[in-house]
Amino acid sequence: MTWLAEQFGILSKIFYYLIQVVHWTVLISVLAYLLALICGLVFGIARISRNRFIRSIAGAYINVLRGVPLLVLIFFFYFGLGKFVNLDRFVAGVLAVGVCYGAYMAEIFRSGIEAIDYGQHEAAMSLGMTRWQTLRHIILPQSFRIVVAPGANEFIACLKDSSLVSIIGLRELTRAGREYANQYFLDFHTWLMVGIIYLIMTLTLTRLVKRLEKRFAIHGYGVTRHDN
Amino acid sequence: MIIDIKNIVCRFGEIVALDDISLSVDHGEVVVILGPSGSGKSTLLRCLNALEEIQSGEINVDGFLIDRNHRQIHQIRLEVGMVFQQFNLFPHLTVIENVNLAQRVVRKRSRTEAARVSTELLNKVELADKTEAFPGQLSGGQKQRVAIARALAMNPKIMLFDEVTSALDPEMIGEVLEVMKQLAAEGMTMLIVTHEIGFAREVADRVIFIDEGKIVEQAAPRQFFTNPTNQRTKDFLAHVL
Repeated sequence: MTWLAEQFGILSKIFYYLIQVVHWTVLISVLAYLLALICGLVFGIARISRNRFIRSIAGAYINVLRGVPLLVLIFFFYFGLGKFVNLDRFVAGVLAVGVCYGAYMAEIFRSGIEAIDYGQHEAAMSLGMTRWQTLRHIILPQSFRIVVAPGANEFIACLKDSSLVSIIGLRELTRAGREYANQYFLDFHTWLMVGIIYLIMTLTLTRLVKRLEKRFAIHGYGVTRHDN
Repeated sequence: MIIDIKNIVCRFGEIVALDDISLSVDHGEVVVILGPSGSGKSTLLRCLNALEEIQSGEINVDGFLIDRNHRQIHQIRLEVGMVFQQFNLFPHLTVIENVNLAQRVVRKRSRTEAARVSTELLNKVELADKTEAFPGQLSGGQKQRVAIARALAMNPKIMLFDEVTSALDPEMIGEVLEVMKQLAAEGMTMLIVTHEIGFAREVADRVIFIDEGKIVEQAAPRQFFTNPTNQRTKDFLAHVL
């Protein structure tokens, strides 16, 4: 019993140590995700623009950023661009994760827009609405309900990948775990606890996504089952 | 004359959907367009609402022009209301929001003014009790009546009906046709693509038969149905009557 209590004591000590930096993980993920949402919306719409030039720029952005490992992007933003502009490691980390996830979000938004029946465009146009009015009032609100689940899942992925920015010395959850493990040689306990804290966050978010999905279902419209 | 179509050609790649069609329609006239599937009758309606592009010829709707140089698409769409076979209601909006939306963003009507117009029109199509329902909760006939109200809310001078009863269960066809008859009686200019021969006979001022992208025959309904002159028209009528 004393062994168990000892183990528990060690783990709770680590927990209290790590919980003090967990807000950095949250902050990085949230800011990066907000950036990803903006990039995703802009490039997702640009991807289906009628202008070929705009379309190919968006295509290039999506393909390049999805084709490069996030770790390399982080190095590029921090060390690479660091040669020219003095980027704070926090800013560099958020930018790298943000634009990378922006590419994934762009594809999600694009597929969400394209999933809407073309008849919806035609009905809106026949009422005299412009392309932008149609997008804003008809297409995006319906797409939103389609992309809410995959889009929110990207946030969970984003939260996990935020651990990669520890490599440039940003003191978030993973970085703090490494420090603790190195200092006290408690690798097993520390990484176990780091994993548990990530897991608590991701599992909570998963449940939240499920709720969101239900909340935004369209009445009598395929997204969720209706039992009358 | 409110619609004047001159020699329009509409192609989809190799396929010629409309082959040099000319047609003029008077104020308040009800024109029913018949023809086998793939004949171009829907394309003709869609050209009138600039949903398809024409390669040559010109369309003049109440003074607004579509041809190679003039594309007054927006103005024309304001003049012309359209109802589709597949309803195309906005599923994320309630019935009254469906009718309100374009009034607000296109016609720039105030909230109260739009709501007043919508309520009046929904009364007219006998859906006053469904204003807060979502399209997914309505029957096909109800959906189509909302779609008609939504188009009418923009105060169009012309209404286009593209096989609006083809997706409906038989018992719901009547309620939609009833609304259309009422509109015709009120003097609305209407172009109707339909397979409802009885309705065409009763409501049309003129019946047009289109085949392979050309107008093959046009006549008043009595003449058209009892004494068609063209062999293709006779064959078609033999199949549907």
